[in-house]
Amino acid sequence: MQAGIGTEHDLLLQQKKKNVNKKRLDTWLLLLPTLGIFIFFFLLPLFFLFITSFKNFDASTGVGNEWTLQNYIKFMSDPFYLGVVWRTVKIALLTTLITIIISYPVAFQISRSKGRARNYLTLLVLSPLLISMVIRCYGWVILLSNNGVVNNTLLKLGWIDQPLTLLYTELSVVIGMVHVLFPYMVLSIMGSLEKIDPSVIRASQNLGAGSFRTFFSILLPLTLPGVFAGSVMVFSLSVSSFVTPAILGGPQVKVMSYLTYEQVAVMLNWPYGGAIGFLLILIATITIIAYSKILARSEKGVAIQ
Amino acid sequence: MSRKLPKYFFNFVCLLVYIFLLAPIVVVLLSSLTTTEYIVFPPEGLTLRWYTELIEHPEFMQSFTLSIIVAFGTAIIATAIGTLASLAVVRRQFKGKTAIVQLVGSPLLIPSVVFGVALLQFYSWIGLAASPLALILGHIILTVPFVMRLVVASLVGFDRSIEQAALNLGAGPMKVFFHITLPIIKSGVIAGAIFAFITSFDDLTVALFIVSTDVVTLPVRIYTYMQYQYDPIITSVSSIMILFTVVLMLIIERVLGVGKVFSSKN
Repeated sequence: MQAGIGTEHDLLLQQKKKNVNKKRLDTWLLLLPTLGIFIFFFLLPLFFLFITSFKNFDASTGVGNEWTLQNYIKFMSDPFYLGVVWRTVKIALLTTLITIIISYPVAFQISRSKGRARNYLTLLVLSPLLISMVIRCYGWVILLSNNGVVNNTLLKLGWIDQPLTLLYTELSVVIGMVHVLFPYMVLSIMGSLEKIDPSVIRASQNLGAGSFRTFFSILLPLTLPGVFAGSVMVFSLSVSSFVTPAILGGPQVKVMSYLTYEQVAVMLNWPYGGAIGFLLILIATITIIAYSKILARSEKGVAIQ
Repeated sequence: MSRKLPKYFFNFVCLLVYIFLLAPIVVVLLSSLTTTEYIVFPPEGLTLRWYTELIEHPEFMQSFTLSIIVAFGTAIIATAIGTLASLAVVRRQFKGKTAIVQLVGSPLLIPSVVFGVALLQFYSWIGLAASPLALILGHIILTVPFVMRLVVASLVGFDRSIEQAALNLGAGPMKVFFHITLPIIKSGVIAGAIFAFITSFDDLTVALFIVSTDVVTLPVRIYTYMQYQYDPIITSVSSIMILFTVVLMLIIERVLGVGKVFSSKN
């Protein structure tokens, strides 16, 4: 009798174990295609490039045989390259600041509108995300070049005598970058604006606060988490972006991503290009870690994307 | 009256921002109609000459076809494997889940220039030449994170008792997936596929490293062309691409609705 119960129990256990094993097996089957592609075509290539960045440069093959820290030391000790780092960060900071300023009113307007108007405004704001980045930047080339729209208009108005150099400057890169990254900030700010209870604003107005007072004492503090989250997002995307600085800045406004490209594609110096690339990853990662820390700290954290 | 003044000012500021957003796109569209040999805005005269002239540049058409093939392949594969992985991530408990989720999300954090360089080095080592497949593999990495975010979002809060009911009624797991699960998470899956398509179609950074003289995607073709030439051909090619995107968006709007696409985005 006892033995009988025992075997039945064992059988049940075995059955359960089998089920668990089967489940475990098909869990890995579900993951296998994605995991396989990510290991082979993402992790391995990056790992090899990381190793390459510790090799010396060989003029004939690109990658030499000796191990060295020289690539990193060269970058960190040369004022020219440090200048490029500073320019990259400066452009990203300016982009972030301008994006906040111009996104806020738009986010506010959209969060106030309803129905159709809201849909169209949302589409308008997000449309830059859907149209090819190369084309948008090309539009800015037409607008900002020496005989472009902006210069021609200013000349016609008689405000300037000679065309201003707008294209291939830090200014043109920042303009293009703001245009590209604007939607991320709007989405982020909209997220936290929508969480505000409208009665709070009415209360503030009923108590006699004007529009400015209401904005600075109520709206702005309550949406700061959204502004913060959006800023770090825009900053890190702008630090690592390549298309905009390549088209609107070119060799005249070198940023880290362009430097990586140039070292590899023009100079064929793989180890050095790799080293610059990994320093760029380091900068981008530090901001992202800060980002997730901030998100974790504020419960009102806004999910972007 | 004085209370309305800030409101007018506010609306005016918003209007300026909308003009800023649309300016480069409008400029490209309109300058494609110019009769001059160079790009000028506003266009002088109106002609479709730069569109017909495209016939003499078959390389743009080739690149367009290649870009479509690559984007289509990427969208299908990335959506398929991303959906499977999302199922595992949302519904199963297993060791190393956090690590896997982080790994699959990390292409969003790695600058694509660095990924492009790494991929080029890797491809040359394993001897994989520039081909649609080589491009698709790179683009899958770029797009799976988007697909998984969207599909995971639509799987969270899924009422599994419906699936259980189907299973109890004798449906096999495959049947349950295709008749119950997939239709319910449809909007997330379709949105994922669309984002994958657009991201792949738009990619310049990674493709720039992988292309060869014969295999050139449209963004790379446009980028290299405008390094040397400044004629309205580029604006007509770009206008066609913009119209293509607009048509795509209209179809999506019909199928899903804008609000839905972007609400599932969060």
